[in-house]
Amino acid sequence: MLAASLLIAVAGCGSWSWGRRSAGPSGLGEGDRQDPALSGNGRVLASIVERGGRDTVILQEQPSGRLLPLGPLQRQQPHRSPSLSWNGRYLAVLVQQGGRRLAVIEDRATGRLHRLPLPADLEPQRLSLAPDGRRLAIEVVRSGRAVVQMFDLAGLLEADLPGGLPATGGEPAAPQP
Amino acid sequence: MEPQPRQPEMRSPPLRRFAVLGCSSLIGLSLGGCLGEMATPMGGLDRQLEQAGSSQAPALAGRWLALIGGRGGRDQVLLVDVERALPVPLPGLNRPDAQPLSVAVSRDGNRLAVVRQLDGRTELVLYRRELMAVEAIAMQPAGVPRRVSLRADGRELAVEVSRGGHWQIDLIAIP
Repeated sequence: MLAASLLIAVAGCGSWSWGRRSAGPSGLGEGDRQDPALSGNGRVLASIVERGGRDTVILQEQPSGRLLPLGPLQRQQPHRSPSLSWNGRYLAVLVQQGGRRLAVIEDRATGRLHRLPLPADLEPQRLSLAPDGRRLAIEVVRSGRAVVQMFDLAGLLEADLPGGLPATGGEPAAPQP
Repeated sequence: MEPQPRQPEMRSPPLRRFAVLGCSSLIGLSLGGCLGEMATPMGGLDRQLEQAGSSQAPALAGRWLALIGGRGGRDQVLLVDVERALPVPLPGLNRPDAQPLSVAVSRDGNRLAVVRQLDGRTELVLYRRELMAVEAIAMQPAGVPRRVSLRADGRELAVEVSRGGHWQIDLIAIP
């Protein structure tokens, strides 16, 4: 009995010693928050919230929780599967355009949006951007089967490396209803 | 890409290889044509992934690609050295009775965060490759984890958790 109590106590202490916190309020009410993605340095958190009935990616500075602005991506909902580079300069995400879903990468330093359309028979499901921005992995469904496809982005994006400047993307975003 | 030993379980018929090569070429044309810049398909690695069976839930960091791959209905966590196009072993992580749902990897490839279903419940675990050790990370307050993301140095993770009918995001520092 004593041993069991000690075990529970130790296990509990072990768990609590891991610092835990909520991602904090998004400024958008108490709705669902999904699809978390940390920037490589952990200073930006991307997640998906519902805004106006459509899934929308938001960026929050960590640990303050301050909302960061988006560029052209804020008009490309619904969003899915966000992924950030090291300093949060690049945000890769899946967007829906008409009947098609495609991968895009927003350069928050320049405001430029890179579109990565895939052949019509490939439906992208998830993606991951390497922290340095040099590679992109996309899970696609082809003929009913999920397959990961890899892309080298060295000819497309400037690297986003440790020690680089954070991409502010403009003025802080105001919470929206 | 370095030469690699033959791995019988990863062979595939020539026809499939041709089909994959054709698909990769199509993607390359599509991206190059639309962008004017190059997003180049990594055909050799794509073929390796194709031969390994289905693959999903990719996570990139450093030279590493973590993903969930499966053949014959059994999914497992895979870690691939992208620069060498070679899978690396993960002793002690995969279990025949576990179904991985989400995976993330640190930049040095040493830490993997995995959400998996095991014994009828869903758990978040941290795998330290150097130690070949799996450690469960309890959800507090209680909840059901789904997707996980790891900071590049592997010292913090963000996990999507279902609590009371809502999806929330917890940030957990890792010693």
